[in-house]
Amino acid sequence: MSEEIKQSEKFYCVFGIGEREFLIPRESVVQVLDITRIFPIPGAPEYIVGALPVRGKIIPAIDLAKVYNIERLNYSDKKLLVIDVKNEQIGILSDIAPFFVSFESDIVVEDFIDPEQLFERLKVNSQKNSENRNDQ
Amino acid sequence: MINKSELIKYFLLEADECVNTLIEAIEELEKNGYDKEAIEALFRVTHTLKGSASIVKFDKIAELSHKLEDLFEALLNQELNFDNSLISHIKKIINLIVTLVNEVHETGEEKSNIDQELIELIDDILSSKEMPVKQYEPTTFEVLPITNTVRVELGLIEHIFTSLGEVLVQKNTITDRERELLNIVEEISQSSRRLLKEIADFSDRYWLAQQDSGQKITDIFFTDFSDLEFDRYDEYHIFLRKIQEITNDITDGINSLLVFSENLSYNFKSLGREISFLKDSLLEIRMIPIGKLLHRICEAIKDTAKDIGKNIEIEIKGAEIKIDKPVFESLYEPILHILRNAIKHGIEFPEERVRKGKQPIGNIAINLKKEGNYVVINIKDDGRGIDIEKVKETAIVRGLISSKDASILPEDEILSYIFASGFSTSDEIDLQSGRGMGLNIVKTTILKLKGTIEVSSELNKETTFTIKIPQSLTVNNLLVFRSSDLDFAIPINYIDEILTIEDFPQVMEERNINYKNRNIPVKLFSEFSLSLNSKALEKGYIILLNFSGTRKGLVVDDILGYEEATVNNFGKFLEGLTQYTGYFISGRGIPRYVVDPLKIFEEDIVVTAQYQPIQEQYLHLGAVLVVDDSISVRKALQNILEAKKLKVYVAKDGSEALKLMENKNIDLLITDLEMPVMHGYELISRVRKDARFKDVPIIVLTSRGTKKHEEKALALGADGFIVKPFDEGTISQILSKFELETNVY
Repeated sequence: MSEEIKQSEKFYCVFGIGEREFLIPRESVVQVLDITRIFPIPGAPEYIVGALPVRGKIIPAIDLAKVYNIERLNYSDKKLLVIDVKNEQIGILSDIAPFFVSFESDIVVEDFIDPEQLFERLKVNSQKNSENRNDQ
Repeated sequence: MINKSELIKYFLLEADECVNTLIEAIEELEKNGYDKEAIEALFRVTHTLKGSASIVKFDKIAELSHKLEDLFEALLNQELNFDNSLISHIKKIINLIVTLVNEVHETGEEKSNIDQELIELIDDILSSKEMPVKQYEPTTFEVLPITNTVRVELGLIEHIFTSLGEVLVQKNTITDRERELLNIVEEISQSSRRLLKEIADFSDRYWLAQQDSGQKITDIFFTDFSDLEFDRYDEYHIFLRKIQEITNDITDGINSLLVFSENLSYNFKSLGREISFLKDSLLEIRMIPIGKLLHRICEAIKDTAKDIGKNIEIEIKGAEIKIDKPVFESLYEPILHILRNAIKHGIEFPEERVRKGKQPIGNIAINLKKEGNYVVINIKDDGRGIDIEKVKETAIVRGLISSKDASILPEDEILSYIFASGFSTSDEIDLQSGRGMGLNIVKTTILKLKGTIEVSSELNKETTFTIKIPQSLTVNNLLVFRSSDLDFAIPINYIDEILTIEDFPQVMEERNINYKNRNIPVKLFSEFSLSLNSKALEKGYIILLNFSGTRKGLVVDDILGYEEATVNNFGKFLEGLTQYTGYFISGRGIPRYVVDPLKIFEEDIVVTAQYQPIQEQYLHLGAVLVVDDSISVRKALQNILEAKKLKVYVAKDGSEALKLMENKNIDLLITDLEMPVMHGYELISRVRKDARFKDVPIIVLTSRGTKKHEEKALALGADGFIVKPFDEGTISQILSKFELETNVY
């Protein structure tokens, strides 16, 4: 009986920024990291707050607060939700420890983030970058 | 000339590969039946084999491969129907080829005779287009003698390299930790020495004091003994004894710790040696002797030389030096180009050479040398050399340097302008050597390989190109520096020297240093990367970079040292950060971004409209797109046009112009004819072919004043033709013709 229910359910991972919560498909979540130290990447757009070295590679950390213009009250206890998009790992800052939820698959969830769209929208493009540099 | 035995060596390398492919493809064919792709592969491979065998005059192998080639061609053209019985004949021929190749391996000659019957049979099949009625007899392949080789997918080696990169990171971490360990051991042993000394002193004193005081016996067991018969202990004694024993233990422990850490660091050292050995041999695996490449190019070049009536000989030294496969492949074009230039423009015709008192046969010497992790390729021809005055002239005409600078610049720097884009001292345009954009592409390719190219020349005597490239692209030699508390790295091959800021106190204001009689422009790294305003650095370094003769300086806060590392790519998400070529993680887990020095200085050269802030359209009477590869022409025109209240967009070649036209409304297009990447003729014809732009007026602005150029431009769809030099009057006339001139003055 329980299996039947599971099949009609969809699983999401919930993470939070400021007062808001977002959902992302569970299957794209790779891991959740504690942020010890983030290294800024000079020249990167403002929403990429830096890079986190993980096993010889870096994972870029994205602050969606800068993308959605969310006001944030405290900066403590941040987690990095690492997702896998197009075989690449990118990290999203979360103010809360991310947790999993499930809904009936026919429920349309709000504040849903499509990883691929996010990737395409936020990936660094060199044109933008050279403009930035020229502004100096 | 390459000697015969060397040629044979390269032939064998190629032949083994060909034979392997032949066998694989035939087996596939046998298994799966007719397969166009497999036959195509067979056709190509036999063609290659035929070609390389005939170069070294192995006629039998050449003939056999030729027969096979014909056979496969017939199969491809479907003149012949594929039949499995054919395979046994093909296999027989391949077997024969294998035998012959083996003989060459062993003795350097072809020994066996060709089975004429077999050849006739194939000829028969080819002429009659029919299969012979003969029994199918299974043939098995003979084994190549070189059984101790394995073919490995390049991807697999890449994979190993990635792991090796990780190993290097770990090794660096361990080396860092080792130092920590040694420090700790040192500290402990010092403190323990102090402790021991204290205890020893104390116990000496206490011991003596005790013996003097002569305490009363308190323990019942000791009553039977006199003082001399038994040492009596009170708690102090016991405590002291214990302390002494413990300290002795500690001393032992510390001593073994010292021995242990010495052994450990010895082990680390051997581990480090093994790892670098492993790295080197793994690199070797992927490397190919450069002679294999030169051999291919030289044959082609000699043919070309013969075609245009010049006699040349090519000497190659150091052909056995190996380079990484990707480097190998990317080097083909640049070297071919330089050699082509040498025979086209460098080496004179035999008569002219004799007149000049040279040997009638032109000499090209290619010298290869290994310098650390780099390979230095020296290409020297004894032709007419480069006329430095002509270079100077052209550089001034093209607006690359001012005539004032030209008189004071050192010769080698002037010479380096032949690599500038759109530069050509040759008046004619020919198909292969191009229109002076060639050497620019050569330079770009070499720079992409993280290498450098320099040229030196003596008029009427010789020209030498010196290419320096890293042997491998996988492991990079980097200089690590710090700027604004972040670590960066820069490929070491661009670096000439490192200077300290203290020696150039004016650098922050002037952004320029005078060093060894050169004026070198300087940039601040912190401004480039972090858009920070320059805080006055009191201490710091200037990294002097050399881009094939052009020198630039980069100011950084601190130099951390030299490191060998595997550089990772940023991946798709961050690949837009083109100012970096990648990153690596330091032993302490800190990312270090590898800077592309070309990007930092490229803006000095590139000025395009894309970067200009968008101005409000209605202020302008119209928009003009100026396309010219010379920055001085662009600027001059821009000034004239902007003074006439026109919006001006600029592009430095045709392709940039097309890109701009995609997003901007252009009312008039003014273009040069000779430009790198995409020339004016092509631009005109492309614009005319595009329905959106077919009505945009096009004016050609060129230094080519001949009727022929004008007619061609007009035929392609240009609306006007101005010959440089131009003045404001001519421009005004043109503008009024297209109703872009303001009437209000």
